[in-house]
Amino acid sequence: MLIQAIWWGAIFLEALLLIRGLRAKLLSRFPVFYSYVLFVFCEDLLRFWIHRWRPDIYPQTYWITVFLGLMMGSVLVFEIYLIGLSAYPGTARMARNVLLFVFVVIFAKALVNASYGAVWWPAKTTLELERNLRIVQAFAVISLITLFLVYAIPFGRNLKGILFGYGFFIAVSVIQLTLVSYFGNKIQLLWSYAQPVSYLFVLGIWVRALWAYQPTPGTIPAAQLENDYKALIAATNRRFHEARASLGRVVRP
Amino acid sequence: MIGVSLFLAVAVLLFLLLFFVGRGAESTGELISRPDDQIRHGYQDTLYSPELARRIFSPEDRKFISSTGSPQLLRIYGEERRGVALHWVRQTSNEIRTVMREHALTARQSENLEVTGEAKLFFQYIELRSICGLLAIFVRLLSPHVLCDLAAYASKLSYQIGRAQQDLANAAQLATFRSPGAP
Repeated sequence: MLIQAIWWGAIFLEALLLIRGLRAKLLSRFPVFYSYVLFVFCEDLLRFWIHRWRPDIYPQTYWITVFLGLMMGSVLVFEIYLIGLSAYPGTARMARNVLLFVFVVIFAKALVNASYGAVWWPAKTTLELERNLRIVQAFAVISLITLFLVYAIPFGRNLKGILFGYGFFIAVSVIQLTLVSYFGNKIQLLWSYAQPVSYLFVLGIWVRALWAYQPTPGTIPAAQLENDYKALIAATNRRFHEARASLGRVVRP
Repeated sequence: MIGVSLFLAVAVLLFLLLFFVGRGAESTGELISRPDDQIRHGYQDTLYSPELARRIFSPEDRKFISSTGSPQLLRIYGEERRGVALHWVRQTSNEIRTVMREHALTARQSENLEVTGEAKLFFQYIELRSICGLLAIFVRLLSPHVLCDLAAYASKLSYQIGRAQQDLANAAQLATFRSPGAP
């Protein structure tokens, strides 16, 4: 009964999110995000219908929709990168390099596993495969957030909400899939409630953040002298050397 | 079990970063609204006073207070100096953070951002902040003069080792000049 209520609650919030997106003209600003929400909305309705009328094909439908959602989620991370860094071409280049590095490392790990005679991706079950793919997403989001924080990229309420909600969803999924694949059915019951509730929380964050359009805060234009990137690097290096010298004086007897 | 811990650590790291995202927007906004000059020149006060740093951490004042022979005065001095030293460390750490923040705020708009240059600066930043953290721990747990004392001790030790090596070398040289049968 509770699960049914959570299910309907999620469908209601997804519908509300789509309606608000349409009203606030946010669909064209975040097309991938709203496509993702529309997909999840249709997926929920489809699963609900199959669960009720064709329970025999529910497991197959569940896993197919989960992996489709996972793929769309990866495109969503790319949209966050594109929109968040559109005004910062240099930082965007940096993000591309960092993301490329993350994927190369993960790909290299998969290659090493394959060379040792293991399977291409070491997952014994569908659950483990989903967890591994969520881990890849988690690394991509971690790299992106780190860059956003280091370069103090202003988000704006809308994008921050999308990033926060999806990041939270990935983190909860990683914990859930890790614990379930380790402990098995012992905690399955707990997670059958915890996961939908956390998803409701994510939808709540999205509804609140995307209720109306809010422009991204502007940035101060850099001074002419510091537009010269080499000069900026040299100036920061010099200031770090001064700090180092100042700290060095502490141990001078 | 190691795999499980690693996966959970990734999730915890993500939660931590999301917490900073949730909290960080206001501070970023504040920083952006601050006048450029205030950001640019705020850091100079502490870093440009070498005499202050040397004086706070050198044991000169402690020697002077010790010479009065008053344990109460020495205790008060210890507490006061620890507070001043911690303030200096915190201030220096904040200034290093401001330098990095200011760099990031300007660099993010550059089209020529270099990955290697930025990575080097970031590691320097982490190193300096770690030194400040360690320094604060030393000052809090031991005393502001402990590093100077340690450095002085190390210097004395190295001098003694140098002397010993020299003596050993001289002795070895003397031994080679003497004939095997000589008393």
